[in-house]
Amino acid sequence: MSIARHWRRRHNLYRLIGTRCRSCGRTFYPQAQRCIYCGSSDVEQARIDGEARLLSYSIVYSVTDEARYEAPVILGLVEVGGVKLITEITDASPGELEVGMRLEPVLRKVSIHGESGLIYYAVKFRPAMGGGGSGED
Amino acid sequence: MTLQARPEKGSGIHGWGAYIPRYRLPLKLIASTWGWHEDQYKGLNVREKAIAGPDEDSTTMGYEAALNALKRAKIDPSEVGAVFFGTESKPYAVKPSATIIAEALGITPITMASDLEFACRAASEAMRSSIGLVSSGMLKYSLVIGSDTAQAQPGDVLEFTAASGAAAFILGPSSGASAVFEGSYTYVTDTPDFWRRSLQPYPRHGEGFTGEPAYFHHIINSVKGLLEELGLKPGDFDYAIFHQPNGKFPVRVGLRLGFTMEQIEPGLVTPMIGNTYNASALMGLARVLDRARPGERILVAPFGSGAGSDAYSLIVTDEIVERHDLAPKVDDYIARRVEVDYGFYTRYRGKIRLMPR
Amino acid sequence: MAWISGVGMVRINRHYQKGLRDLAVEAASQALRDAGIDGVDYVVVASSSSYKQVGQLDLAGYTASYLGLRGARSLAVEAGEASGLAGLLAAYSLVASGSADTVLLVGVDKLTEYNSGEAYDMIEGLYDIEGEGFYNIGHAGVAGLLMRLYMHEYGVDRLTMSYWPAVMHANAKQNPYAMLRFAVTPEKVASAMPLADPVTLLDSYPLGDGAAAVVITKRPGQVRIAGVETATGLPSPAHRDDPLYLESVAEAVSRLGLSREELEGIDVMEIHDSFTITAYMILETLGLSDKGRAAKDLAEGKYTVEGGGPVMNPSGGLKARGHPIGATGVYQLAEVTMQLRGDFPGVKVDGARRGMVISMNAMGSSAYTALLQAE
Repeated sequence: MSIARHWRRRHNLYRLIGTRCRSCGRTFYPQAQRCIYCGSSDVEQARIDGEARLLSYSIVYSVTDEARYEAPVILGLVEVGGVKLITEITDASPGELEVGMRLEPVLRKVSIHGESGLIYYAVKFRPAMGGGGSGED
Repeated sequence: MTLQARPEKGSGIHGWGAYIPRYRLPLKLIASTWGWHEDQYKGLNVREKAIAGPDEDSTTMGYEAALNALKRAKIDPSEVGAVFFGTESKPYAVKPSATIIAEALGITPITMASDLEFACRAASEAMRSSIGLVSSGMLKYSLVIGSDTAQAQPGDVLEFTAASGAAAFILGPSSGASAVFEGSYTYVTDTPDFWRRSLQPYPRHGEGFTGEPAYFHHIINSVKGLLEELGLKPGDFDYAIFHQPNGKFPVRVGLRLGFTMEQIEPGLVTPMIGNTYNASALMGLARVLDRARPGERILVAPFGSGAGSDAYSLIVTDEIVERHDLAPKVDDYIARRVEVDYGFYTRYRGKIRLMPR
Repeated sequence: MAWISGVGMVRINRHYQKGLRDLAVEAASQALRDAGIDGVDYVVVASSSSYKQVGQLDLAGYTASYLGLRGARSLAVEAGEASGLAGLLAAYSLVASGSADTVLLVGVDKLTEYNSGEAYDMIEGLYDIEGEGFYNIGHAGVAGLLMRLYMHEYGVDRLTMSYWPAVMHANAKQNPYAMLRFAVTPEKVASAMPLADPVTLLDSYPLGDGAAAVVITKRPGQVRIAGVETATGLPSPAHRDDPLYLESVAEAVSRLGLSREELEGIDVMEIHDSFTITAYMILETLGLSDKGRAAKDLAEGKYTVEGGGPVMNPSGGLKARGHPIGATGVYQLAEVTMQLRGDFPGVKVDGARRGMVISMNAMGSSAYTALLQAE
């Protein structure tokens, strides 16, 4: 991971900023200068938010050495406000996962650049907290 | 008077929020791992401690607490003029966590931001300073975060209570606040009860020395000073919250000061989750605010080794009622628990060094 | 017009004793010998992981030099897992345009220079590094997601899913160039160690090293390149309305202009079965199997020499022959060429006249296909 790459994408990664095409109306992640669907450059940044659901998941045991601390990594195909993306699911053990379950975004560490390097944070998703008072926005 | 208990202009807490990671380590597993007799921890009045997951640190926990506080404050993040992050478990020795949180919340770039260190009291110092900043009119809202993934030498008695959690507050003018500061008071001295040298992974402490000359002396003086300044007595408060390194000290100090169990109990969270250091007393405050009714008066007294204590008196306003349910409550996080074993804990808290966490 | 006039392959394996260059030179020498020529106009080298795993840049130049082809023109091509067929596109274009009479295409990659954790790090780069590739997807995580989606959507159980690897291993057992030359039962596939649950060890390609080469000439030979096509897809399966549909594969194949009967009448195919799920996705995208049916079709014997439909991956496929990332497409070309010549030394498709290769990167970021014809 390059320091500059994470830095220039920090809003993208911390706040799940994607792209909305004014021409074809589609929204997708990540940020892009042109629409990946129709090629239009009439695009704007769009925060990907809204109700999130788990469409599919994988429990990844074979990970890079760097990710061994977090293994098994749970990878999720998530739909957020109608936009699909592949991201990590956290705060869940494999037995708690269910296709269709409600999720919510959190900020977590995704990778660490060695013993003395940088910590890379980004949005992941966790099973939505149930119970009273949970203020989804 | 060198330090004003009541600045000319009022200030208050607009939003509050907490975060507790979902993993819990029962104290009996620590005892059985290290060969302690069960009486060693039973007197602490702590059942289990909350520990952060492998992808969490004080920054990510502080972020979630701050997000909850922002939701309750009902303000635009860009209105925040200062972000203070109080911790003794900084992910980076050099590089602020406050900027990461400010960036992720959309507060940057026109804001003050820094990490503060004063053992468990750094976030309280941030609160104290924010009262001044808000009162002076230099900024409208300040974000105060206390967050720790407290570390203890494996096998040390400290390991029974060193836990992970965060609490955050949006301070602003008294108008529109959920609770208004009636007064605040600070008492610090050079007292070496607990320390961690540079480049050392775990803190050291003076065992019993952490009690009388440190914890009790400073809290008693800050609370007495505040009561005297405001002309109040323990009976005037509905709640009394103290720093809670274990489940025993806050009860003892409260009773000694003349408070009752009824006043102390609602703000007591350490028995359920352990000591969350910078979030310890502030988590208790968040839990009290979660249920407080308009007109109630709250005393909160954080403490930090080294050593110092602040005491605050807060009066709850009508504004609080509609804010209770705008974010998850402390008890929602307490209820969200998954019990783990000692092996999980050693890996997740980076005690097995593949890479330091 | 362009023809494949010579092929060469090194058995895919953990070649600790051979370097990237050794493997490339070995396969290339065989292909030149097979074609009966000593010199070429161009050397095209397809490789993907070599830059990160071995650290050699200008791989085509150095490969040509160490082949002793002093002064030959050289060109390197990289398209992730599809590098081999992307290399064919370059080689074919050079010959078809008249820029070259003879092109040597070498595909080579090494995945075992470092431990598997390092290889996964490299393989994650096959995915969009600004999308899912930013996360800890490992080498099989996205396949795991798609496999669960497929099983959930179509109600296919784990055991039924497991027929593909069983058939592939049976084929590879007879292929001297295959890495995994042992049989497995569907039960064993289903109960193997999970790598990215539900993907097990036996659903995945193995990490191996290899090199393959083909000689492409203007001079007619036995096997004609009847078409090479390619298409790019959306960056992530998450961007597709149906993540299980490989639009890049569909588009590349449709650009060959085959009718449905012609596609179904192809005798032999080597397709990109990096995982069990990718094989089923390709079969269903091409319409050879109905949606949700590919696993069941295979369980009923389709796609084998005895069953109906084009014979799929008589080599054992990426699954069992092996998948040295950038080299794989060239293996597929060499294998189909040998099938059409009638001299493939494993499971033979007797009388095969038409063969097809389908290659892609990741989950369809780009796809390539080649149609080969025996003359």
